[in-house]
Amino acid sequence: MNKTITISPVTRIEGHAKITIHLDENGTVQDARLHVDEFRGFEKFCEGRLLWEMPGITSRICGICPSSHLISSAKAGDEIFAVEIPETAEKLRRLLVLAQWVQSHALSFFYLSSPDLLLGFDSDPSKRNILGLIEKDKELARRGIRLRKFGQEIIEILGGRRIHTPWAVPGGVREPFDKSKKDHLLNWIPEVKETALMALEIIKKVHQDLEKEIPSFGNFRSLFVGLVSTDGGLEYYDGTLRVMDGNGNIIADHLDPRKYYEYFDEHTENWSYLKFPFYKPLGYPKGMYRVGPLARVNICDYIETPLAEKERREFKKIAASDGVVNNSFYYHYARLIETLFAVERIEVLLNDPAILGDHIRARAMINRYEGVGCNEAPRGVLFHHYWVNKDGVLQKVNLLIATGQNNLAMNRTIKQIASSFIEGSNISEGVLNRIESGIRMYDPCLSCSTHAIGQMPLVIQFIDANGNVVHEIRK
Amino acid sequence: MPAKKHKPKLAVWKFASCDGCQLSLLDCEDELLKITEIIEIANFPEASRAIQPGPYDISLVEGSITTPHDAERIHKIRRQSKILITIGACATSGGIQALRNFADVKYYTNLVYANPKFISTLQHSTPISHHIYVDYELRGCPINKYQLIEVISAFVNNRKPNIPNTSVCIECKRKSVTCVMVSQGLPCLGPVTHAGCQALCPSYNRPCFGCYGPKEAPNTTSLAEQFIELGLSKNDIVRAFRGFNAYSDAFRKESEIYEK
Repeated sequence: MNKTITISPVTRIEGHAKITIHLDENGTVQDARLHVDEFRGFEKFCEGRLLWEMPGITSRICGICPSSHLISSAKAGDEIFAVEIPETAEKLRRLLVLAQWVQSHALSFFYLSSPDLLLGFDSDPSKRNILGLIEKDKELARRGIRLRKFGQEIIEILGGRRIHTPWAVPGGVREPFDKSKKDHLLNWIPEVKETALMALEIIKKVHQDLEKEIPSFGNFRSLFVGLVSTDGGLEYYDGTLRVMDGNGNIIADHLDPRKYYEYFDEHTENWSYLKFPFYKPLGYPKGMYRVGPLARVNICDYIETPLAEKERREFKKIAASDGVVNNSFYYHYARLIETLFAVERIEVLLNDPAILGDHIRARAMINRYEGVGCNEAPRGVLFHHYWVNKDGVLQKVNLLIATGQNNLAMNRTIKQIASSFIEGSNISEGVLNRIESGIRMYDPCLSCSTHAIGQMPLVIQFIDANGNVVHEIRK
Repeated sequence: MPAKKHKPKLAVWKFASCDGCQLSLLDCEDELLKITEIIEIANFPEASRAIQPGPYDISLVEGSITTPHDAERIHKIRRQSKILITIGACATSGGIQALRNFADVKYYTNLVYANPKFISTLQHSTPISHHIYVDYELRGCPINKYQLIEVISAFVNNRKPNIPNTSVCIECKRKSVTCVMVSQGLPCLGPVTHAGCQALCPSYNRPCFGCYGPKEAPNTTSLAEQFIELGLSKNDIVRAFRGFNAYSDAFRKESEIYEK
């Protein structure tokens, strides 16, 4: 008898999700799907709002990466004003994006993923969380918590609060950097750098320990998409889009992010509330692409900071003959390389006298009726596209969100894990956790991806050939 | 002091929201360990897969009700919870997504999704208190983590939370922030908005836009009249009251007066 397994809610991810696993008559996995089920409707209710309000409104899409939405939104505003923002403002915004990477990546690794990786997939679920990690290795957990705090504190210093700061605006930012905080942050750098390096050592040990399992964790070829700087370096705030295929060939480069809609399209499936973006020239579903840390570290030619560049070169060795790292398990590794990069780059920026300037805002009125803003959110490239009238009233809004762009790859990943670890009807807690963990590698932000729809703790449902739920595991 | 026999059990629940408020709990970096000394975190899916069955001593509820399934789920949560506290603007007033309450939801799904017939969603995004009895509502978009700690420890110790219910104006005065409405003529919601943000926006030289929702007995009528004096159009006034707490009674009613 065919059946379907559902995992709901998916835990230790940001948002709510449900996974269903469809089994055929022989109990073999036929398909696995990630579902999202809630409606928020940002794109629509932003119509009629004012351009100036947009950074504040859209940052409410997500409580983990509000700063990323804030920046994409402010940049779309810069486009509509048709202004070049002051140097100080750009550097401060860059500082915000990097701080956002640090706090979000630390949350993903230390709070959400490391419990599986360090305590084991089959360990007691009641201990498999940050508190269990504190029990096992208090010093490491403390360091992880402090690494996240470092990022959050920069956001708070710049924006007045950690979540939903009203700081960035079209044309620049609202407040200059508080000089008195500079030394406090610089003194903190050696500790967080050491933590980032420690985390890298840990993940390399995990790679050895899980050598046998890793090949089943989302190992497939796909396209990779992200921003690169003008000379091909790792980029987080500006730059142009690069598309690389699963063999490491650059198939498109220096694409203008303001024309993202010429390269990407979105497909809908009737069983998911999350849309399925794909790269247009290859069509759906062949145009599946991955974004985020794995994509960024894969596609760039170099990283501008020395320690992170050294790690990137090691990372590249995993790719071997593929030319590109195709296994999604290495999202963790890439995320930690980026964390190290962000810490190094923050140090450079803090030492740059330009961040202390007080010319932080270019003022203008509506000079264009359309604008696209884009930056690399922790989970991947994030586009905000606005159309306004002459008074700056929003006529239309389109948002292309990082997690949504990984939707196809996430579905592919859970199917692969389910096929490798589920045999017949005997499903252990550890298997369910591996499937969840497959989703967690992408560090999905489901509030974001479902900005239009969605909610997402996880239930696993087993569904048979006749569409009946034969078994359901809830948390 | 003798050891307590029973550590109170805390559960965290999510409905339609951005997760920012429950993340404030994880943001209690240094305080997190101390919190877990006095309470047991029994259900927090964002942080742990282990979910202990109810009943719970304290439930923190984030998010608004937007689906038929959620409208049922909140009743189950109420039945398992001795004390139920809503955290943030979504749970307390329907949140930013309640902006859709002023339009036809079908219009939304038709435009955003190719297959709207598969979406099960309610017409309105509503606060938790429209569905069940709520013991305490903690305001903010997002909430203030120190206020969250205060509310948890108050309920654990069986006392009233010490959360000032004054307006943002009082916070401006305490911080010596010059009034942005008086000095610059900016339309500020501070006079009718619940305190808690430490007057963040006015300190940044911009008007308050009401993250914390209406304060107790807000005089929205007189504020709206003041906005007219400042030269705001009716549309501007509707927009001002329709922010993160658009569906709170006070802000909704005032915005409806100026809608036509």
